[in-house]
Amino acid sequence: MEKDLDKVVEEIMATSNVSGCLFADHQGLCLAAKGTAHVDSAGIIVAISEQACKLQPNLKPPTVSLESDQKICLIQRHGTITGAIFKLKT
Amino acid sequence: MEKIPDKLGYLILTEEGAVLESGGELENDERVATIVTDLISLSNSVDPVAFGHNEPLKKISIAYEDHWLTICLSNKKIYVVKRSIQAPASEGIAVNV
Repeated sequence: MEKDLDKVVEEIMATSNVSGCLFADHQGLCLAAKGTAHVDSAGIIVAISEQACKLQPNLKPPTVSLESDQKICLIQRHGTITGAIFKLKT
Repeated sequence: MEKIPDKLGYLILTEEGAVLESGGELENDERVATIVTDLISLSNSVDPVAFGHNEPLKKISIAYEDHWLTICLSNKKIYVVKRSIQAPASEGIAVNV
């Protein structure tokens, strides 16, 4: 199972402008982290996606994007797994 | 706020989350206001390694299939706008073969 996730992580990291990515379960425990994404932020990322899901609980979980001047963090929940991708703005 | 195209609703909040102005689908929506302020305080503590301590967040977007919310902080006020996503014209045209 980890092999599949590792493959996804490698694929994401090979995409241009991606500086890091992280996956966590519904409890906020880190499943995988690579690049600039730190294992410690797994809990916060799951909390952010849960908070966003509360906006419209009857709809599919939304994609959350956090933007600063140079970077973007995209957070998406799929079932019990939450993924975050850290990108550099082009 | 009036000039934003495809706007479905908007909220202007204080930093504490009190509603100053609102309109459209978000009119007096205190539930969304609370969720948004909680979301902002959570977002401020997101990964300092990836984002850097001196790089504050400028914008938060929450995208659904047919609409999205965008959240910005300016002049000590929180601006929330709900906008619809228009499908590209080509997708809306049925092709008969």
